[in-house]
Amino acid sequence: MALLEIKNLHASVAGKEILKGITLKLQPGEVHAIMGPNGTGKSTLSNVIAGREGYEVTKGEVYLDGQDVLAMAADERARAGIFLAFQYPVEIPGVTTSAFLKTALNAKRRAEGKPEIDAMDFLKLVKAKTAALGMPYDMIKRALNVGFSGGEKKRAEVLQMTMLEPRVAILDETDSGLDIDALKIVSEGVNSLRSPDRAFLVITHYQRLLYYIVHDHVHVLANGRVVASGGKELALELEAEGYAKYLDAAA
Amino acid sequence: MKPSLITTHPFGEAYAKSLGVAPWRGHLPGPKVEEWRFTPLRNLAKIAFAPAAINVSVDIIPRTVPVIQGAARLVLVNGAYRKDLSDANLGKGIELSHGKVPAKEGSSLIALNAAYAPASLALHVTGAVKKIIHIISIGAAEVAPAALHPRITITAETSSSVTLVESHVGLPGETYFSNPVASITVGEGASVRRYVSVDEDNEAFHLATSLVKVAGDGNYEAFHLGLGGALTRQEVRVALTGENANVRLNGAYALNGTSHHDITTVIDHLLPNCTSSQVFKGVVDGESHGVYQGRIHVARDAQKTDARQLHKALFLSRGPAIDCKPELEIYADDVQCAHGAATGEIDPNHLFYLAARGIDPETARDLLVEGFLADAVNEISDEAVRAVFGAAIGQWLKLRQARPS
Repeated sequence: MALLEIKNLHASVAGKEILKGITLKLQPGEVHAIMGPNGTGKSTLSNVIAGREGYEVTKGEVYLDGQDVLAMAADERARAGIFLAFQYPVEIPGVTTSAFLKTALNAKRRAEGKPEIDAMDFLKLVKAKTAALGMPYDMIKRALNVGFSGGEKKRAEVLQMTMLEPRVAILDETDSGLDIDALKIVSEGVNSLRSPDRAFLVITHYQRLLYYIVHDHVHVLANGRVVASGGKELALELEAEGYAKYLDAAA
Repeated sequence: MKPSLITTHPFGEAYAKSLGVAPWRGHLPGPKVEEWRFTPLRNLAKIAFAPAAINVSVDIIPRTVPVIQGAARLVLVNGAYRKDLSDANLGKGIELSHGKVPAKEGSSLIALNAAYAPASLALHVTGAVKKIIHIISIGAAEVAPAALHPRITITAETSSSVTLVESHVGLPGETYFSNPVASITVGEGASVRRYVSVDEDNEAFHLATSLVKVAGDGNYEAFHLGLGGALTRQEVRVALTGENANVRLNGAYALNGTSHHDITTVIDHLLPNCTSSQVFKGVVDGESHGVYQGRIHVARDAQKTDARQLHKALFLSRGPAIDCKPELEIYADDVQCAHGAATGEIDPNHLFYLAARGIDPETARDLLVEGFLADAVNEISDEAVRAVFGAAIGQWLKLRQARPS
């Protein structure tokens, strides 16, 4: 069984159809890249899978390990193992990164029938994970994403991902706003999480990120549909030739 | 300001007469008094309060009073000092006495307090006091609605320092009306920190007045937490009477049901080079009503004044109301004054972000509310008290009535 299965997914925003029948299968251990020009539905796809309000699924199905994802609320999806790394992580004043991480981690542990994490174990875990991502440990004392630079926000997203250890991680243009050094660190974080029972959906506008994140499959999204699928060579071809021919074909 | 009379009040006129004081009914500010426009006292005026009994049998401190480790404890029941419930080992640099209540002065509520307060709990601070002084005022109306008039006087001499916590709570029973008055004098170079928590019984009334004078180079830091009571008001009037005096006046409130909470502040900048800053934040739910009125007065002589004021409120549902009235009255020409006010609801993008990390909507809302109030709570410079007040807010969130869906 596929870990994440998207079947003929149609979705609208404010009555306008954005996704026009998307079908994808992610097997455990795989990393899929979704590329495409702006405005073709890449972010809509990630938001629909994560369960953001305001997106109406008009047709199709999404399954996580055979569970009906679309029937779950956003927080249930996350606890079931879907993780969305945001393109624009929100700043939440007053809520410390530490309190937030602990609450999120405990929500997951409760869902798995485990007890809440011990305060000392939590600090140890955060220390190890922040060090691995080249982040100062002190950042967890700061309010969540408040005053973080673009790079810090994306690193914080990857930190959350490494702590929550999702089944399926969706990275929504995680590369946007990153310099090369940050890009490398973020990519290493993702690569380190690759495992035989986890899958990734990496959404990006540029080939750049795919130099660093080891991926298996590339899909081109245009006008709300997957118009081409292939291996690594497809990403390189897009880098060289652009999206023009797929846009023409999709129109 | 001349209070208009509520002439229908049935409070014991004979009792007042026997004490030789003006009848109570003349002491309630009416709806036409500008400062009381947002806090009508109709419901209070309908109840026939008798003077609260001094010798009620209270033998434990209610559990709603936070425990502050290592603090000295001074307990008032119905405004009267209770040695048996207190731990008056205050340490060095401070003395407790039970003084006469000063004769009538100021507003009508202060005069009412002066008429009925059993005695003033007076603290005379002469040195750097190490222990936190925790004053607990308990309202206990046993068989009939009762009015209590706690009176606290703090005098901090030159260069002395003290940290006070005040908890205002009540016992279950009949409704009560607490009318506390605190007079605080901060001497030259002295430092007073005062953290007040009003967590009265759901049916109770609480109209508190604080009169603060800060001399040159003096510092006054206060925090006013409002968590419970049918109708509560914390009015704080601070006069900066010497140069280089500073006041930091902050607070937070969390309301549900039909609670009404009013924060009224008046800061009087009289001389140059003084600063005042205020951060007040509130969350409102149910059909509650929050009021913030903040007046900053800068006298002609008070050049180089730096005065700031902020009030923000968060609506947890569509039922509550907020009234906010900032007032700047500036007569000096070289000053910095800023005020800000905002109200809003929880941002759905914040909720989704937390949901996308597996946090359920209730927990997410609590986290966001605590985060919203944290800006104000973090102004509490005493770490232990900050934790205690933060925990009280956490507890309020847990006990919050389920909102109608």
